[in-house]
Amino acid sequence: MLTPVERVAFVLLAAACVGWAAVGFLQVFRAIARGRGSLSTDRVLARAASALVAVLSHRTLLKTRRPWAVAHALILFTFTYYFLVNVVDALEGFSGFSTVGQGGVWGPFNLVADVLSVLALVGMTAFLVRRFVFRPRSFQFNPGVLLLPEVVRGIRRDSAVVGAFILLHVGSRWTGQAIRIARHGADPWQPLASLLGELLRPLPEGVLAVGEHVTWWLALGLILLFLPYFPRSKHIHLVFAPVNLTLGLPDPPGRLDTNSRDGTGAARLEDLPKRRILDAYACIMCNRCQDACPAHGVGKSLSPAALEINKRYYLNRHLASFSRGAESPALWEYAISTEALWACTTCAACVHICPVGNAPMLDIVEMRRELVGRGEVEDPNLQDALVKLAKYGNSFGRPERQRGQWTRSLPFPVKDARKEPVDVLWFVGDFASFDPRGQERSQALARLLHHAGVDFGILYEGERNSGNDVRRVGEEGLFEVLAEHNIRALDRARFRVVLTTDPHSLNALRNEYGSFGRSYPVVHYTELLLQLVREGKLQVRRPVGRKVTYHDPCYLARYNRVTEPPRQLLAAVGAELVEMPRNRENTFCCGAGGGRIWMTEQPGKERPSENRIREAAALGVDTFVVACPKDYAMYTDAVKSCGYEGRMVVRDIVELVEQAVGLQAEVAVG
Amino acid sequence: MHVVVVGKLVPDLVEDLEVDASGRGLDRQFLKLVLNEFDEHALEEAVLLKEAHGARVTVLAPEAEGVDDALYTALAKGADRAMKLVGLGEAPSSRQIAAALASALPSLGFDLVLTGVQAADDLDGQVGMLLAGYLGLPHVGVVTGVELDPDGSRARVRKEYPGGWLAELEVQLPAVLGIQAAKQPPRYVPVSRVRQAMKEHTLEELSAEPVPVPRLSVRRLSKPEAAGRAEFLDGSPQEVAAQLVSILVERGLVR
Repeated sequence: MLTPVERVAFVLLAAACVGWAAVGFLQVFRAIARGRGSLSTDRVLARAASALVAVLSHRTLLKTRRPWAVAHALILFTFTYYFLVNVVDALEGFSGFSTVGQGGVWGPFNLVADVLSVLALVGMTAFLVRRFVFRPRSFQFNPGVLLLPEVVRGIRRDSAVVGAFILLHVGSRWTGQAIRIARHGADPWQPLASLLGELLRPLPEGVLAVGEHVTWWLALGLILLFLPYFPRSKHIHLVFAPVNLTLGLPDPPGRLDTNSRDGTGAARLEDLPKRRILDAYACIMCNRCQDACPAHGVGKSLSPAALEINKRYYLNRHLASFSRGAESPALWEYAISTEALWACTTCAACVHICPVGNAPMLDIVEMRRELVGRGEVEDPNLQDALVKLAKYGNSFGRPERQRGQWTRSLPFPVKDARKEPVDVLWFVGDFASFDPRGQERSQALARLLHHAGVDFGILYEGERNSGNDVRRVGEEGLFEVLAEHNIRALDRARFRVVLTTDPHSLNALRNEYGSFGRSYPVVHYTELLLQLVREGKLQVRRPVGRKVTYHDPCYLARYNRVTEPPRQLLAAVGAELVEMPRNRENTFCCGAGGGRIWMTEQPGKERPSENRIREAAALGVDTFVVACPKDYAMYTDAVKSCGYEGRMVVRDIVELVEQAVGLQAEVAVG
Repeated sequence: MHVVVVGKLVPDLVEDLEVDASGRGLDRQFLKLVLNEFDEHALEEAVLLKEAHGARVTVLAPEAEGVDDALYTALAKGADRAMKLVGLGEAPSSRQIAAALASALPSLGFDLVLTGVQAADDLDGQVGMLLAGYLGLPHVGVVTGVELDPDGSRARVRKEYPGGWLAELEVQLPAVLGIQAAKQPPRYVPVSRVRQAMKEHTLEELSAEPVPVPRLSVRRLSKPEAAGRAEFLDGSPQEVAAQLVSILVERGLVR
């Protein structure tokens, strides 16, 4: 079909574009390689297989924005199929052979191409209409979010280029088939292109002949021209998203990387692990993470998406020099403000929702480590909490000897697990030990354990803050001091299983202490209570019989995938659970994690906890059940500040159990 | 410019403090000692001066349980040298400390001595004043900020007076200043840096000869006794009024 001049032109263009693109891709690889550490390659085949399944099933995309995930699937599947189509088309151009009207294998081949082409055009048009006509809020950033100046226009232009490329590429190939049908006769295997072919048939033969060449070039020439653009475009995600999904997320998700350089974190792009630089190339700038982020959701200047996007636009502008080893500026000068860094609750919603396996939260922890290492802890309340944690082992600044004081008003003694063996070693945690509201719930749990005949004990002043959130604040050294202290105490005690009240302690003991070579069987109190109910050691005498909703703690549900035991426990005590829209691993953070509970909250703005209480109030239930002492404190405050007092009551699940078992009278709302 | 910070460890007020068997001192068995809060501010001000003017900072504190940690923390915050004042025994008085410093400091050489304005365990704020007196140097107390002249010959210090007055004083160096508050709250020092300081620095010792000085003795230490008591009346205004009337009648104050 092609003329000799066209053939030479195509080969030359291919050589030039492939060469040009290769330079760009090489720079991208070098840029990623500047990150620290190495990319883990163990079980790479198994992980690649699971990444393939994720891509094909769209499992990660379908977590939210489902119609758009379907539109994406149409484009992705078409594009994948088009690798084959493009090769055949190129051979056709060079050989003069045409699959149009051919039977055999070409019939189904063309049928699939025909249908997918039209579906991809529909999907792509829908994306463009959404972005450029409807302009959803999801694509806008909060006013305070730090953005490189070229980002907003850059994303718009890139999206237009990519959209136009896909429409032209797919549309031209499909139109080319229609022209061939118009010129050379019908093809029952291409019903949709045939419709267009019928419309084109009246055109003069000369126009159709030229059209065949033009559409061929628009389909295949465009691909070549697009290759060098890839390293600058978010469209490169089609290479790096599968790579990222193959490399996977930290496992377990609740264990942070200890392999930082000399215990300090990251100031610059090149200080980050390779994986985190790669994230910027896998990012398709969909802003799902921003939608899920509790800080962005209440108007703060934190956007995990903006962090990745800024990294990417910085790299776009400085790729050549950066890939050659030039030093980049501190990330907080262009990628994320320090205010935003400290706004992160480490709830991991961004990590969980990201369809391409990015983890912007881990960048944030790296940068916090660096700032803390430099002594730059801006928030005076956080500084105060860290000083107290260092001095007394708890954030309340209370003497160590008072840690077990909440047990004194119980009618039975609580064993000292440092002095005698116990079956269940209860690691109580700061909030459940020192916060007056937490103490009452700890006493309730102690009464239930005692009633069920559980052989349990606590470490009294041998216990320290678990360090979970100290680590997430970035104070690695203090985390180690606290962890080592707890490990020494646990090493000396004899027990079968560790029980925790606080999901944050659970995460530290179950996952983080693994870095110190310790692995304990750790259960959350909801799990233990469920077991006791099932074994008949706790008998439900007075079923709760009211509608409740349940808030999944981030560190229980998202980090440690404990979502069903609390629900089964609620069912067992006769509560009727009405789910909030954001439930289980898709839960919404209360705003206390990652050390936020110690930091100053800006007045005047909605808090994540208030946002959550409003979500619950919309369900028409009057009882908000929690399973974390920090949640209890956060949500009782939020109920008051939202003005729901008397209409909504916060209950720790332990209170419902105690009421159902008959140890405690029913508590009225308000 | 050489700035010497003088600190001391005092009982941590967060702990439950108990009076010992003699009734004249604190039970020191479970006592936790921490660097005096005002000395933390003196140290912060010294480190700020170091950052602004490149001063050398030496920290000095009488030996006590926990003094090593306090001194390493000071080094991690930016002090260049840390010294323990040894030979004064347990809980030396301000006068003893001042006398010991007066004989030890001249050999160190210094331009400025910063002390906390007072300490939680004596509240008499004498160390700075006595030291200035022994050495014949100017002294300013209750200082909330120090600036140095570029040539290092004078310091301008800020001092707040009651009634919302602020004075800026000029003082010839060398001088002794009692710091009430640094220009910014004492900084946070990460644990990793304290550990690093422990590896990189050794604490020096400065021997002090106990000088005979006049002493006070504590006759009795106790918690303040409640002077009177108040009774709160609950209920609606009518109920409170009724209770009030019955109390007044009961006590014969009205008829």
